[in-house]
Amino acid sequence: MSKETEQILQNPAPPADALDAPFPSKRMHVNLGPSHPAMHGTVRAVVELDGENIDSMKLDIGFLHRGFEKSCENVTWTQVFPYTDRLNYVSSIMNNVGYSLAVEKLCRLEVPERAKYLRVLTSELHRMSDHLTLVGAMGLELGAMTVLIYCMEARDILWDRLTEIAGARLTSNYARIGGVARDMPDGWQDKVERTLVRVAGLRDEVDKLLTRNRIVMDRLVATGRISRADAIDYGFTGPCLRAAGEPYDIRKASPYLVYDRLDFDVPVGSNGDNFDRYLMRLEELKQSERIVRQCFEQIPPGDIVVEDYRYVMPPKPQVYGTIEGAMAHFKIVMEGIQVPAGEAYSCTEAANGELGFYLVSDGGGRPYKIGVRAPGWNMLMALPAMLQGELLADLIPTFDTINMIGGEVEQ
Amino acid sequence: MAEETKPSAPATAPPKPAPPPGPPPPKNPGFVTCTIDGREAVVKPGTNLIEAAHAVGVDIPYYCYHKRLSIAANCRMCLVEMSNAPGGKLMPACQMTVGEGLAVRTDSPRVKDQQRATLEFLLLNHPVDCPICDQSGECKLQDYYMTFDHLKSRLDVPKVELRKRVELGPLVVLDEERCILCTRCVRFMREVAENPQLGVEARGNHSFISTFHGQPLDDRYSGNVVDLCPVGALTSTDFRFRGRVWFLSAARSLCTGCSRGCNVFLDYMKETTFRHRPRENEAVNQDWICDPGRLSYKPFNDRRLLAARLGHGPGRPAARAAAVAEAARVLKARAAEGTLALLLSPVASLEDLLVAALVARDGLKISEVHVGGRPDGWHDDFLKRADENPDRMGLELVAAAFGFTVKPFADLARAVADGTVQAVWAVGAEVPEEAAAAMVAKAPDLVVQATNGGPLADAATVLLPSSPVPESDGTFVNFDGRAQRFEMAYWPRGDSRPHWALAGELGKALGLVARWSTAREVFEDLGRRVADRLGDYRWDSLPSVDRRKGLVPLAAGTVDGRLPGYRERMPLDRSGNVEWDRLPNP
Repeated sequence: MSKETEQILQNPAPPADALDAPFPSKRMHVNLGPSHPAMHGTVRAVVELDGENIDSMKLDIGFLHRGFEKSCENVTWTQVFPYTDRLNYVSSIMNNVGYSLAVEKLCRLEVPERAKYLRVLTSELHRMSDHLTLVGAMGLELGAMTVLIYCMEARDILWDRLTEIAGARLTSNYARIGGVARDMPDGWQDKVERTLVRVAGLRDEVDKLLTRNRIVMDRLVATGRISRADAIDYGFTGPCLRAAGEPYDIRKASPYLVYDRLDFDVPVGSNGDNFDRYLMRLEELKQSERIVRQCFEQIPPGDIVVEDYRYVMPPKPQVYGTIEGAMAHFKIVMEGIQVPAGEAYSCTEAANGELGFYLVSDGGGRPYKIGVRAPGWNMLMALPAMLQGELLADLIPTFDTINMIGGEVEQ
Repeated sequence: MAEETKPSAPATAPPKPAPPPGPPPPKNPGFVTCTIDGREAVVKPGTNLIEAAHAVGVDIPYYCYHKRLSIAANCRMCLVEMSNAPGGKLMPACQMTVGEGLAVRTDSPRVKDQQRATLEFLLLNHPVDCPICDQSGECKLQDYYMTFDHLKSRLDVPKVELRKRVELGPLVVLDEERCILCTRCVRFMREVAENPQLGVEARGNHSFISTFHGQPLDDRYSGNVVDLCPVGALTSTDFRFRGRVWFLSAARSLCTGCSRGCNVFLDYMKETTFRHRPRENEAVNQDWICDPGRLSYKPFNDRRLLAARLGHGPGRPAARAAAVAEAARVLKARAAEGTLALLLSPVASLEDLLVAALVARDGLKISEVHVGGRPDGWHDDFLKRADENPDRMGLELVAAAFGFTVKPFADLARAVADGTVQAVWAVGAEVPEEAAAAMVAKAPDLVVQATNGGPLADAATVLLPSSPVPESDGTFVNFDGRAQRFEMAYWPRGDSRPHWALAGELGKALGLVARWSTAREVFEDLGRRVADRLGDYRWDSLPSVDRRKGLVPLAAGTVDGRLPGYRERMPLDRSGNVEWDRLPNP
């Protein structure tokens, strides 16, 4: 029994405001994670507590470090795609697209229209799956199991559609330098549209369950706050920046692919707290649905990949039937595409913010250097500042809404 | 017409017109200055445009051009824009020499279109053979297609079918469908081999490469046409279908066929040597090697001795350490009797001979050396020397440095016959004559270090397996005293070790201090004794080559510094443990 506690116990007449007095406590260190049911991902946080309040915290990341950037230097430019799948593994097509846009910038390749629409379409489906994951996991970690189940159902039927076009649920490896791997299968549009209806229904259920829920609001409103100025200083991008009131979205600020032809809104928050960040995701689910529907209306027929044998494998009949195709196939497989020497930075609006690829080519078949600007990194690094003095319990929803993804943060 | 062109003579002579302006004085006297793609090239007069462009970092593509052959200008791949071209036509860069003030463009749309059109034409009837073609991976059609054409086929009729397998000679097979008729092979046979066995038969579209009817391509330099062929038309019967070039790694090596010491690339995969390719050395072999030299890698793979052996005849296999101990015991006893002779082979490297000589002098008190080696063979006035031993000069240098009396092999046979020699230590088992070898083989004690079987190795009482050229580093001194390095391709196979290592182990068993763990250390330690005869030779002076494989290796190299393609094998001792001290120096 500590000295203070003894003192309190021995004192028969507590002062009038005793219930509001801070409970005397000891400082203590708590290790959260790396494997903890309430942690959003495999990461360890060493939290120094003063009572229930966080005095300081240290983050220990690296449990998903795979040496992505270095590994890419040992494979050809095209073999990098499966590695990018493992960056933000919940929305792999957006990583594929980001990387292919960077390489195409070096190669000065113009992608066919249909491929652009397919890239946007699949990216937005993956954005929805990313946000659904966040909301569901957040619900779970705040004790709302039902929300997780609803979100997982919505996510899984989206992934079923993505499996039909890309061939895999999680690691889609869908984009190619110069286009995409596969066209839409027959009847896919109908299926996606029906899926969107179902996802919208589930989203509204979740909305009803959470948004006006007293407990959820207690946990989310005014917790994990960051001001607009601080968010910009820390390099926030994506929903977390917009939740703080800065209306910055790369799809609007510097449109790529066909985003300038699509009509969608960028939701902006005002408080920069967990609740705004959660609402941001719900609203973006609606906007992504709009984008997908517009893509279906606008998508033109045509090629899904450029016809340039320097960068794209010829179709198999050409490989087996003509010497030109056989040679191109051989050279691309054995030596890799020859990306012109130079360096390029290209960024896209991924689910969590600006996903940037910085590439250096020496003109050879393998990347000389690849650097990734992972959107989650900046939010993660701001976490100790955001939680300074907050309750330990607020760490959990804050960790959820900044959506740290180990695969992309840990380089 | 005549009246129009011929003005009538004026009554009075007009003032003499000023002489037309002559060519401008050269910008760099003694050299010609021209501009290639905006870069100023200053080259010697008479240089052709391909070489001039190469000197300033512009690569002009070509198939038929070769700097050591005459100019044919028939592939049309090297056409460029020249400021002085008649009618503004595109001109073949291989045929055009530089001119003062000339402006050349190799990257204009016209040139690019011409290169693409040329490639499309060359590929029109080219068969879809890459998967079965030996050239695949080092083929200039593939390289240039990806650089200059990269469009799909527009051919909508069947390809012309020609003969797929024409056996031109014992070493060369022609595939007429793949041939682009650049005539490099024809010009090589006429100009370098000076034996015009190849020609172009028929005309125009029907042309094909051929020998005279009934006469094979059997010149002793015919193998070079396989290397010269820029496509897969001429393939080697020896290498055909045996390995894919992108799996092969190359070591900078030397041909062991004669005392010329032609520079070669030794292409290998794992523990097998697949071929020799000539490596350019202006002073020794230019770009060529002879056919027997090309095939001289065979003993590195076949009929190798990989385990030590004790006892006469087939004997019994033994651990190398036991065999070395037995050899040391025998040699020491015979040396004490004074009935021991040393036989050195001029096929062994300088490092091998240095260690053997040191052990023989200090450990066995020997003062004379018998010289074995291969018998003389054919010779010509081009590359091939009659002496088929790559290191005879090295042996003489070592013998002189250690004060040995040099004696011929026949003396050893006589000494064995009359009983004055009871034991022979042979470093290298090559023998110049069979009869004398049979006599030497009768010696009661025969310690032989050998790479392959032979009369001495078969008769050895103690056999120590030694490693040939691809399995060791070393130096050969060729017939005119030029010391040249060869580098190790793969670790010694089986239980074999280089001669110097075996001699070192023997020396250790005889009570000497074996101080060397690599051939480099041997040369640094003992090479000083012969350094004054090696000129400016430095052990690390192997020229670096930028591209040793058909495919570009990893830019960063392998993690352990070895060549790609050879990362799976670590040096293991007999019990399977990694011998870390035997990893190569970084």
